[in-house]
Amino acid sequence: MEESNRSTVLFDKYNIGRLLGTGNFAKVYHGTEISTGDDVAIKVIKKDHAFKRRGMMEQIEREIAVMRLLRHPNVVELREVMATKKKIFFVMEYVNGGELFEMIERDGQLPEDLARKYFQQLISAVDFCHSRGVFHRDIKPENLLLDGEGDLKVTDFGLSALMMPEGLGGRRGSSDDLLHTRCGTPAYVAPEVLRNKGYDGAMADIWSCGIVLYALLAGFLPFIDENVMTLYTKIFKAECEFPPWFSLESKELLSRLLVPDPEQRISMSEIKMIPWFRKNFTPPVAFSIDETIPSPPEPPAKKKKKDLNKEEDDGVSPRSFNAFQFITSMSSGFDLSNLFEIKRKPKRMFTSKLPAKSVKERLETAAREMNMRVKHVKDCKMKLQRRTEGRKGRLSVTAEVFEVAPEVSVVEFCKSSGDTLEYYLFCEDDVRPALKDIVWSWQGDDDEDDVTTNDNVNTNDNKITNIS
Amino acid sequence: MLAFVKCFSLKRTKHPRGYEDPHVLASETPFTVNEIEALHDLYKKLSTSIIDDGLIHKEEFLLALFRNSSMQNLFADRVFYMFDRKRNGVIEFGEFVRSLSIFHPYTPEHEKSAFMFKLFDLHGTGFIEPHEKMVGALLGETDLELSEESIEAIVEQTMLEVDTNKDGKIDEEEWRELVAKNPSILKNMTLPYLKEVTLAFPSFVLDSEVDD
Repeated sequence: MEESNRSTVLFDKYNIGRLLGTGNFAKVYHGTEISTGDDVAIKVIKKDHAFKRRGMMEQIEREIAVMRLLRHPNVVELREVMATKKKIFFVMEYVNGGELFEMIERDGQLPEDLARKYFQQLISAVDFCHSRGVFHRDIKPENLLLDGEGDLKVTDFGLSALMMPEGLGGRRGSSDDLLHTRCGTPAYVAPEVLRNKGYDGAMADIWSCGIVLYALLAGFLPFIDENVMTLYTKIFKAECEFPPWFSLESKELLSRLLVPDPEQRISMSEIKMIPWFRKNFTPPVAFSIDETIPSPPEPPAKKKKKDLNKEEDDGVSPRSFNAFQFITSMSSGFDLSNLFEIKRKPKRMFTSKLPAKSVKERLETAAREMNMRVKHVKDCKMKLQRRTEGRKGRLSVTAEVFEVAPEVSVVEFCKSSGDTLEYYLFCEDDVRPALKDIVWSWQGDDDEDDVTTNDNVNTNDNKITNIS
Repeated sequence: MLAFVKCFSLKRTKHPRGYEDPHVLASETPFTVNEIEALHDLYKKLSTSIIDDGLIHKEEFLLALFRNSSMQNLFADRVFYMFDRKRNGVIEFGEFVRSLSIFHPYTPEHEKSAFMFKLFDLHGTGFIEPHEKMVGALLGETDLELSEESIEAIVEQTMLEVDTNKDGKIDEEEWRELVAKNPSILKNMTLPYLKEVTLAFPSFVLDSEVDD
């Protein structure tokens, strides 16, 4: 795809349009998905560039698999990858508001409230990815974009090997290489990364978030010097001055973020506790594609509302569950997602030998004991909501009790909003023990779920860290 | 014998047995060529797990579904049978891709519904006949162990709901009505995951055979 042919069709699926930008190894084009009209950004990498570095392709492959786990409103989504004999295409969500730092270059420092909003969104994104075992390792201005609503989107998460020059984040290179390929300045890079020893990806990201916060509030970078050696010295000592307009609280936070010793640096969970950070904080709300299983359309209620009251004087009227619903939802012989080795099943079901009414009562009691808010949607359907904020807003779960046979009822849980990982833990650590005595059997009771996947990612990630 | 050896060594040079050109498969299914290459990566894993011949045998299918190659499961047998379109006892790559395409989120509901009807139509009579105890047997092998009485009660209740012409079996028309009323029955017929196979099995990016 040379610049000359302006519009190219990629696999009959995307129209490739104008060039958006050129990076070290990649060119980014605007694209349109032909069937949906969706805007996308397509990053094109020539394989020969990538092949030049040993182990690179394997790392790209692994990182793609990792990026699949990252679905967050403040993280640019990787939709799919495509390839020809010579090129690789990363099809990503298109973000049209430009780079955050263009705004600073244009307008100078931001008002504290706006700087805080971007910092909150950055932390949300980074914290979410860390919870999935993924570290960015290259948080810098070009990777912070704004969408049409003025919300922050972090890009290139998980693509660190691809986007990062040798010598950082994995492979050892001479310091000359490092400076050349780094196109300019290591101003965002944590001291321990510059030292080129093994480091903790999470803490290195936190340092970079600190630099971003400083730049947002100041309109310039904390560590600058014409002389690279002097610059390094400043970074190693975290030597910087706060402009007079910084508030006391923001200075306090910055002086805990920009700490040279990663072990003394503030952690993600500590950042989230700080009052300055919490001010006006609205955690992002999870969106529906987060669910591996889409919630099925609401089946029409079998009985009319009016008949209900006639039939049942206690006001409890579970919907019935027919044989086919039962077989298809409970039989793991018909769950082909097992072929794909994914164990992510946010939807959970169990059967009970108690009548639906008693099951429902037990659910309510258990939910209250877990300090959740209970709201009735229908007679046998309720919404449970946590009172505390999670990574993607408050976890909210729908539970419905069905009557299968006189002595068998089925309870189905389904996440309505919130973080999938938190939902998984909620099912495993809260729901299961609390309902132990009424459960007859859980659906597919041998699965290990995505927590396992995350562990793997973590392990791999540690591996990269240690190579360097 | 010589012909066999020849044939065998010939195939070994490039692609495993049963391999089909991704371009052909892409033209017949909602998948792109790359998605088919990604699926081939999955297929290679599944088809060499027990017998390294590049074909998915029943045992390998069961192993993937249940982590147990000798699992007795009527439902899995049926699914295998439906995938094995040539009825030669193995799932070839083309069969794998074409069958999975029915599970693609973009495939129309009526195709999914028809596939499922056939799944339950054990003897290919054009009817689902619960009196054969088929539904009961399937219910019995769900992850829960239900008592005979509960199974009977469930089947009876279901027939009351579905068998509108009261002939004791479910025809395609009755099936369509049932599915329309309870779309959740088709839930397992859609694998949202198929839209992201290129991310799940990205190794094709290294050796894609798509020309530039």
